[in-house]
Formats: sequence, structure tokens, C-alpha cells
Amino acid sequence: MRIAIEDLVVALAGRTVVSGVDVIAEPGEIVGVVGPNGSGKSTMLRTVYRHLKPTSGRVLLDGRDLRAMSATEAARHVAALPQERGSDFELSVLEVVAMGRTPYKRAFAGDDDRDRRIIAEAMAQVGVTELAGRSFSALSGGERQRVLLARAFAQEPDVLVLDEPTNHLDLRHQIDLLGLLRQHRRTTLIALHDLNAAASLCDRLHVLRDGQVVDSGKPRDVLTVDLLAEVFGVRAAVVEHPLTGDPLIAFDHQGVREAGRAR
Amino acid sequence: MAVESLPRQDRAQLPAVPKVRAGLVATVLVVALVAGLALATAVGSSFVPLGQVWSIVVGHLVGTKPVPGTPDLIVWQLRVPRALLAAVVGAGLGLVGTAVQALVRNPLADPYLLGISSGASLGAVAVIVFGATAGGVLGLGLSAAAFLGALGSFALVWALARRGGGFSPLRLVLAGVGIGQFLAGATSYLVLQTADEQQTRGVLFWLMGSLSGAKWSVLALPAIVVVLGFLLLQARARGLNALLMGDETAAGLGIDVGRLRRELFVVTSVLTGVLVAVSGAIGFVGLMVPHVCRLVVGGDHRRLLPISALTGAVLLVVVDIAARVALSDQELPIGVVTALIGAPTLLYLLDRRLERA
Repeated sequence: MRIAIEDLVVALAGRTVVSGVDVIAEPGEIVGVVGPNGSGKSTMLRTVYRHLKPTSGRVLLDGRDLRAMSATEAARHVAALPQERGSDFELSVLEVVAMGRTPYKRAFAGDDDRDRRIIAEAMAQVGVTELAGRSFSALSGGERQRVLLARAFAQEPDVLVLDEPTNHLDLRHQIDLLGLLRQHRRTTLIALHDLNAAASLCDRLHVLRDGQVVDSGKPRDVLTVDLLAEVFGVRAAVVEHPLTGDPLIAFDHQGVREAGRAR
Repeated sequence: MAVESLPRQDRAQLPAVPKVRAGLVATVLVVALVAGLALATAVGSSFVPLGQVWSIVVGHLVGTKPVPGTPDLIVWQLRVPRALLAAVVGAGLGLVGTAVQALVRNPLADPYLLGISSGASLGAVAVIVFGATAGGVLGLGLSAAAFLGALGSFALVWALARRGGGFSPLRLVLAGVGIGQFLAGATSYLVLQTADEQQTRGVLFWLMGSLSGAKWSVLALPAIVVVLGFLLLQARARGLNALLMGDETAAGLGIDVGRLRRELFVVTSVLTGVLVAVSGAIGFVGLMVPHVCRLVVGGDHRRLLPISALTGAVLLVVVDIAARVALSDQELPIGVVTALIGAPTLLYLLDRRLERA
């Protein structure tokens, strides 16, 4: 499914956080959203999974306005991994993954065989099958994110929305999680802090600053030395990754002040 | 690709969520409830043998005239309605506790700790003191006032806890305790304003939480409200599950979070109001019951709600027996007994959570 964010404006408590953003993800495309903190990435994504209402502008799923759908219908198309850290309650991994079936079920309806099959499949896809009976709150950060990804898969979405899913994960779990997205590819909108990860994973990037898209395109075309200095305020060289051929951004950890001056 | 991210032995050590089949647990609880109800009608200031209890109850149910006399009066007019009221109130408190904990996403919450019960008490006492028509049909006036008090105090505690955007469990509990104490003070003031000493004593007894007002005529309203409340909550069980994970997650799962919260506010306030109107503010049941049930059947509300209701019913029936027989010459308010069990439970839970944090 194609998702298109059109001229999106979001004001929160009187402050305009997102002002006139256009973002498109074609079917099967993994589209990254990058930008400094406070640039409006999370706010924009929240309108896609309907936590926030756009002040103006639209989010279109194959041309249909997401706001014109019921909440449950929208949730059958779009699944989200927000930044929330989860729950103090004793929920098992299986119970958390099973929540993905919520938008498909009426009041009082239990899980049927089809639900159980989808839940089992989702857990297998991210490799958490053996954790089924474990307490979700006792898992490591990496395990948790995989379980939440399984929950999103159990939602059978056409579009995945992920808000910095690799935050607070150690390196191996970061690579592991992004690998799962690559492996079970579907239309994806993902906000990422790690520009090298974004360059490797995403088909296209949108760079946000102060609630506006300042550049879009293939990672290779977007992540330039000038943009890194201007938007992120860092000095860096962009080279080719010797192993993968992806763009590799080598930051100059001594050069932040100079880059700032250049800006 | 799915890399195994923990070695096998580490996985084996991860705590499992204990899971006993909910059907089995429910069966055990129903048996325990029936046994508890039978015991509650037999014991008390005078013992009535179970056989005689049976013949009296059956006699009234099938319409054959039981032998009139003191045992009949004690069993049918006093103990049966009281035992049933204990079950209804216990079930209601178990439900409210479960719902409130999901609503505020805090396993340490309960209507008593959050000051909701105090608001309900104030509303009810205001009617008793000022309203000549206290009670009305089925005790509707009293219950309505208690509901308004509950809703008002809940809204106030919620607003205080959410002030400044942030939302910490500690802040919530502190706000609840603060508001609760204030409202309890106001209630005491109102009670003492009533000159009638007899009435003052009665109201104070009821304030501590007591089932001594049980009779057939007060049973209908709470029973109906608890059954309806259960159905309304059970219909939203998946929404409650989603709410545990956070507002954004719930929204992403297609839940209208604002609407669900408003519904839960009203349902829990109505339940609390009606329960307080018949039994006063019985503390800690709403805290303990969901917690224990989660340990046994897990956190999924589709199982947790019915199991909590049954457990609450069993608990309160048993505790009420204890409250009636603990002292030889008089009965204890049931709230005193639940506080004696519940407060240490709260401290234990707090301690465990602080350790984990």
C-alpha cells in the first residue's frame, strides 16, 4: 500500500511542530525520516498511527484519507512501534503479541484458530517463539523490541510505522532489528537517529528540520557533507562502505564547533 | 536471519508468567464462593446447623413455608442477604480495582487509595445529613450522590496527577491519598455536625466500611450495577490490555483512547458510588484482588476481569465472616479487617517495586 502525507501541519499546545510536510512511501518501500531532536519526526509519525490529529493536511492510504476511516479500520492497515517503553504489568510475550489482533476483534470475541496461527507466525518471523510464556517486562531491551515488532506483524498491516526502534539497544540488537525489517519488508516509515543505519536500510530518506522537510531522496543523494553540516551541525566525510557499498558517514568527533561555525 | 540474541541457558532463567487455566481457577472459585456463602449463613453470634440453613433457604426459594422462628429470621432476613451483599460488593471491588489499575496504568491503584471512595463517601454522607429523602427508591439518591462524589474526586486526582504533562505513578498515589484525606476530613466534619449521637455512631461505622446494613431491599441495585459493570468492562477487555502498553500503542491498535478513558471513568465511578452507598469505603480489596489474580492467570483482562470478580466475592464473604466472629460481643467493621490485611500487602508491593526500580 502507498502512504502519502500531504501538506501536514500539526500544532501542539499552540506551537506548530510540523509545518507543511509532504512524505510519500511507495508500496514496499522503506522510507526513513531523519533529523535532529525536536525536528518533528515523532509528531509526524504519530499522525500516521492516529495518536495525534493533524491540524491541517492529510495522511492518505492508497488515496483514502486515514481520518475518514474508523480507528479499527485504520489499525488494520497501519501498525506502529511507538517509543513507549511498555508496561509494569505482568503480561506474557504471547499476550503482548496477541494484542496485534485487537483491531480485528469484536467485543467479547476470543482468539480463533486463524488468530492463533497469525500470532504464532508473527512470533516465528522475529524469532521469539520460545519466549511465548515469559514475562514481557523482564525481557532485555532488544528482546522487547522484537516482541513489539511481532505484535505489529500480528496486526497484518500494509504499512509499518516505527519511531526510533533501535534507541537504547546495543549494537548487535540494533542491526538484528533492522535486519528483520529488511527481511519481512513491507511499506515502512521509520524515524532513525543513526544516519548510517538509515543509509543502509532505507530506500529513501526525508530530512526534517524545524517541522519541515529540507531534503528528500536516495540516501546517497541526501546525506551530503553540506547537509550534515547545515542540518545536524556536524562535520563529516561521506565515503563508500568497504563491505556493503552503502554510503558511510564518518563523523569528525573533534569538528563539531567548526561545522557549527560554517553554518 | 533471526539471530538468537540470548544464549539458551539465559532464556531458561527468564521468569515465566505463571499460567493456570482460567477455567480451572474459575471452577475452584465458584465452589469456594458457594462454600463461603453456606458458612456465612451458618456461623455468627448463634450457630445454625448447615442442614437447617439448607432447609430454610430451600423452603423460601421453592415457596413451601419454612418453620417460622428465630433461626428462620436470622438466616433468611439477616445472614443470607448479608452474605450475598458481601459477594456482590467483593465482586464489584475486584472489578473496579482491575479497571482503575488499567485506567491509570498503575498496579498500585485502587479506588480507596486514589481517594475515589472518599469522594463517594462524602457524597453519600452529604445526602444522609442534608437530604431528608435519603435513600429514595432502591437507595438511588444515596447511590447517585456517591457516584457524583466518586466521579468528582477521581477527576480531581487525575487532573492533579497529570498536571505539567508528566504522569508518574507516585504522583498519582500521593494525589489520591492527599485528596482522600481532605475529603475524609470534610466527611467527618459533616458527620459531627449531625447532633444525633446514635446516627453519628452509625455513620462512622459505615464510613469504616461495613456490611451491617445488609437486607434484601438494598441488594438489588448493587447486584444489577455489578453485573452491568462486568459486562461493560469485559466488552472492553482488549482495550484495557492495549491501555497497559501506553496511549500511543493503544491508538495504534485502533483504540479510541480518549473515549475508552471516559467510559472507564464513568463505569468505575458508578460502581464505586453504588458500592460505597451500601457498604461504605472498604479499602484494599480493589488493590489486592487484581494483583493476586494476575499472579495466577496473567494480565490479560479477558481472563483477569471475571477471575478478579470471583476472587473479590470469595474474599469479602470470608472476611465478613471473620469480622462478625472475631469479637465475641460485637462485630468489627469489615473495612477494619481489610485494612489489617491490605495495608501490609500494599507495603510489600511498594517495597518490591522500589527494589525493581
